[in-house]
Amino acid sequence: MNTQVFVLDNGAYTAKAGLATATPTVVPNCIMKAKSERRRPFIGNQIEECRDLAALYFMLPFQKGYIVNWDIQKTVWDYIFSKECCPINLSQTSITITEPPFNFSSIQEAMVEIFFEDFEVASLLRINPSTLSCYHYRHENPTAKCCIVIDVGYSFTHIVPYVNDMKIKAGIRRIDVGGKLLTNHLKEILSYRQLHVMDETYVVNQVKEDSCYVSQDFYNDMEIAKKKISENSIVKDYVLPDFTNIRRGYLTDPGTDTDSQVLRMNNERFSIPEILFHPSDVGIKQMGIPEAVMDSIKVCEEETWPHLLANIVLTGGCAKFPGFRERLLKDVRSLAPEEYKINIHLPENPITYAWEGGSLLANDSNYSSLVVKKEEYEEEGQAVCYDKFDT
Amino acid sequence: MAVRESGRVKDAMQKRILDEDARKRRQKKALEALEQDNFHEDPHADLVMHKKAPKFQDDLKNATRNKRKTRTADYFKQRFRKNFAQLVEEDLNYNSTVPNYTTAQAPPSAFPDRHFCAVCGFPSPYTCIPCGARYCSVKCLGSHLDTRCMKWTA
Repeated sequence: MNTQVFVLDNGAYTAKAGLATATPTVVPNCIMKAKSERRRPFIGNQIEECRDLAALYFMLPFQKGYIVNWDIQKTVWDYIFSKECCPINLSQTSITITEPPFNFSSIQEAMVEIFFEDFEVASLLRINPSTLSCYHYRHENPTAKCCIVIDVGYSFTHIVPYVNDMKIKAGIRRIDVGGKLLTNHLKEILSYRQLHVMDETYVVNQVKEDSCYVSQDFYNDMEIAKKKISENSIVKDYVLPDFTNIRRGYLTDPGTDTDSQVLRMNNERFSIPEILFHPSDVGIKQMGIPEAVMDSIKVCEEETWPHLLANIVLTGGCAKFPGFRERLLKDVRSLAPEEYKINIHLPENPITYAWEGGSLLANDSNYSSLVVKKEEYEEEGQAVCYDKFDT
Repeated sequence: MAVRESGRVKDAMQKRILDEDARKRRQKKALEALEQDNFHEDPHADLVMHKKAPKFQDDLKNATRNKRKTRTADYFKQRFRKNFAQLVEEDLNYNSTVPNYTTAQAPPSAFPDRHFCAVCGFPSPYTCIPCGARYCSVKCLGSHLDTRCMKWTA
């Protein structure tokens, strides 16, 4: 009996799910409740059926990047494996599921238990998303010996160095800034300066996605933003959705005639993503990404540095901010010794890059030796998972 | 006999100034707010399902699974209940091998902090004396004093 492989990159904001042979479906990893629909909660992509997305209430399985609310996670997983989303026969499927670096052992045990005892999958592989990204990158660049994966996610940012496909655990750096913090901060300053939007996480997240960018010269952009509107190339108006005529907001030039409510976006456009480069701007006493990259490689042997710096991979939803790659390149360049060449790879779709790595790994001849089979789990329990899976 | 004293000095003495600890507490609170999932209450919290209402989802589940009784989502809530703080503590106590979650945190930056106006977001050279917030101009100081200094009205 030939088993198929299903890859589930279980992110804190979106889960990327699909058969290794198909394309991934991006599913919001949460249950949402709307004010307008009193009768039912929306699980994952069911939210597309909701007409009025104002003041959505989120129930997330993850807290600070780790699964804490198992009832919600189980409900979303049930949805993912249901007829509605990705119908598969779990008992004949091997699942590749991702977990964050330094995942806690009780979470790992719970995950394994649910998959083997409740979903009854044929076999399971638990792996870091950065390892899948590394595999994907090595597949595209077979000559690259080392790489640094920067995963700018929803809950946090991880910098993970790999030397000869081996994760250098001591070099992993976590910055507690991710998409969620950026959205919440934008919500806070918009609510104070203009319009109360504290309840509108969903809409403000779209405002962030549509209008924010990474500045190439921060203080110069600040000067431009100070100018009056006619000379200011940064200031824009964001037309808010009203959910009758406009379902998703959009950016326009200031002064455009519109009946809808608008938010004026000026220095907010670039000071929000700037927090990833300077967490201290909001009082988080941690390094920004470029500095943390340098801190991370210092743990690795010096002879690997040129290889690591020449192969930086940028993944995660926040990597989609325009200008991110260029700015990161500029900042790392200024911190790294000048004899080293620096190259940053921004994939076409940074959100599904790790999933695609998982899909490639499923075809690897080694795949079957990486997984834990149901029989092995039934024989040896959790211990076999600790032996086989890389923590 | 009334003691003669300067009105300006008297005013300054009366002004409450937040101490270092209180400022740190405020900062911590602001950071915790940035981690919140929702700022409003569950819109369905007061909703009571009618007892006789058909439960469609349960029927679907029973139909697709084999005869073994499937566990409900609530079972897992009971089975694995540990909050984030408990998980970190457990990790520190029972799995103290370095590196771990706690040691992977990026260390503080070597670069000095940058300061931005708490009102408009532009670079700010001044600090509000009572609460330590930053401001960039008299206009912004005015808004700050009216709304957020030592109180929280907006």
